[in-house]
Amino acid sequence: MPRIRFTNLFAERIGGVNSVDVPAATVESALRALTDRHPSLMPLVWRDGALNPVMVLFLNDRQLASAEIGTPVGPGDELDIVSAVEGG
Amino acid sequence: MRTSFNGSRSEPGAVAYARATVDLASRDVRIEDVPCRNLEDVLGGFGRSFQILAERTITHAFTPENPLIVNTGVLTASNVTTGLRTYFSAYSPLKVSNKGLPAAMWSAGSCKFGPKLKWTGLDEVILEGRADAPVYLVIRAGEQGPQISFEPAGDLLGLTCHEKIMWLKNRYADAHFAAIGPAGEHYEDCYMASVALSTENQLRSGDDKCRWAGRGGMGAIMGYKRVLAIVAQAPDKIAKLKPEIRDINKAVTSGPGSRKFREKDKGGLGGTWSNYEPLEKFHFVPQNNFRPAGDGKPELMFRDNVQPDFFVKAESCFRCGINCHKNVYEKNADGTRGAFLAKFDYEPVNLLSTNLGMHDPRKAAALIALVDRLGMDNISLGTTISYVMDYNERHPDAPILNGATFGDFDKARELVEGAGTGRFPEVGRGVKRLSESLGETGYAMHCKGLEFPAYQPDTNPGYPWAIAGGHMSMATYMAVALEGNTSLEYWATLITTRGLYFVRDDLLGLCKFAGVTGDHVVEALMQEAGIEVTTAELLAAVRRAFMRALWLERKQGYERSDYTLPSEVFDRPNPNLGVPPFVTREFFSELSDRVWAVFDPEIDEIATGVKA
Repeated sequence: MPRIRFTNLFAERIGGVNSVDVPAATVESALRALTDRHPSLMPLVWRDGALNPVMVLFLNDRQLASAEIGTPVGPGDELDIVSAVEGG
Repeated sequence: MRTSFNGSRSEPGAVAYARATVDLASRDVRIEDVPCRNLEDVLGGFGRSFQILAERTITHAFTPENPLIVNTGVLTASNVTTGLRTYFSAYSPLKVSNKGLPAAMWSAGSCKFGPKLKWTGLDEVILEGRADAPVYLVIRAGEQGPQISFEPAGDLLGLTCHEKIMWLKNRYADAHFAAIGPAGEHYEDCYMASVALSTENQLRSGDDKCRWAGRGGMGAIMGYKRVLAIVAQAPDKIAKLKPEIRDINKAVTSGPGSRKFREKDKGGLGGTWSNYEPLEKFHFVPQNNFRPAGDGKPELMFRDNVQPDFFVKAESCFRCGINCHKNVYEKNADGTRGAFLAKFDYEPVNLLSTNLGMHDPRKAAALIALVDRLGMDNISLGTTISYVMDYNERHPDAPILNGATFGDFDKARELVEGAGTGRFPEVGRGVKRLSESLGETGYAMHCKGLEFPAYQPDTNPGYPWAIAGGHMSMATYMAVALEGNTSLEYWATLITTRGLYFVRDDLLGLCKFAGVTGDHVVEALMQEAGIEVTTAELLAAVRRAFMRALWLERKQGYERSDYTLPSEVFDRPNPNLGVPPFVTREFFSELSDRVWAVFDPEIDEIATGVKA
């Protein structure tokens, strides 16, 4: 199963968990599985049915364009979802 | 820190920290081990310093009784990545209640000064009173423990922060430095003076690359005390890296939490400077005193648009693998790196260019570098100058100061120089006082005396509950961009739960922006300090520290009317923002009711504990 990793922004809503393994064949279905399991993450991941425009995806360290959400994933893949805005 | 656990590894009383109390007037120094009273004491940072401040009755920031507390977190100088924080805490000259009383404040800075301080054998230094002449302090690791000496600082007077640090570097080997600039020396006229911390890169390269404890005027307090610099001299005492910590560091530096700050070719997004792009999608990038025009001009400062004309190098604090410093250099004709210009972070770039009506990276670099040389907080200064420009645009027949208006670089530079050298105290004392003196407070972008960072107040009704700066102590400043939720229920929950835990790392000694997970913190406390706490206990301590800060505000005269937003947020909604205006007076009033309904009982509990 691919693993989805995320930041504290996500983790603090689901009991401190920072990664979730989900059964999925594509990036999009992995994210759907994530939010099906943790509905509190819905507003962070999706906006009007599409990927939240403030979120950025990395698949095995490669940044994905939003159009690549259909990219296949498999066991051992790591998908990171991170916010494009952060203070500092 | 010294521990004497007897069975339980979670008993605060079994932990003692090393404190030096320095009487600047008499030059008496007392060094002692202080037993911890609670978990906040153990963790350190503002969790400890605010308990000390709570014991004082201070009615004016510039008084000998107002201490300047320089301390560290329990993980400062540990092997945990980003464990580099130093905290400066005092009653602030800038953050004041409407009754005029100074509020407790802390400001944090990274790099190697904190570890060096800890390696002298001290966890905390309290500067009491006021020296009778300018001095700098030298804290050394002696054979019998830490030693503190006073040195005359006449040669340092008038030097910039960087010049002071390099002067000291030439006299003290294996040391790091905290210094104020001309702004701190002119503390009476510049309440937003900051404290510069030396960096390894700076000492090696000779470039002006300080890190900053910027917010709340801690440099002004240091200037009042006539302490121009502090030297922390000790050999590095880096413990052997444990495999558990190595794993945590790997997760931090290569995991999702730090991607925002890493370079694109390192699997990152390029640092906070790259906030421009996602925020501009919603027209949330402040322009012309927090009044986005929706005209696309912020795009001129996008990193991808600026980078071709410069050489941008990602550099780092001591031993940090994230490389979040996006240092901008001249680019030579052959494409190689030229002279260092400035470090580009979103906050200073925005507040000293786009929000002043300027869209030229070279001018932004010039102003950022000048603010750094003089030793001021670029957030407070940029936001005060944008107010001046706004005022002058509204009053073309009766402008104030030098008549600066949006886009006028030369006059902006003049205001910066004047604020940092005492010539323009109207600017140096911050936007709250300036706007009140002019009788036009509605577009003065601050809460409780602290100027806003580069996030729109129209999108952040959580600003009033930030306890030490709007983007450092309340994680609500980008919530609308992140989730687009403008419901009362969402905002009340966000402020009273997730928003306030943002200050966790301001106790621990870590950089909050690196995204160290809760599990990793708990593991690191066990491995590096031998302290056993649960996540729930840790968060409870953070929450108590936050509530103590709110109680301290109440103690200093803050009333419900202090917790508000600039009135133009309510009265002059901006149609250019990418969300419909939602922060109405009715919304904010209801939100306040809900927030205080949660906070008030907890603050009362803190008050009861203090009285007991």
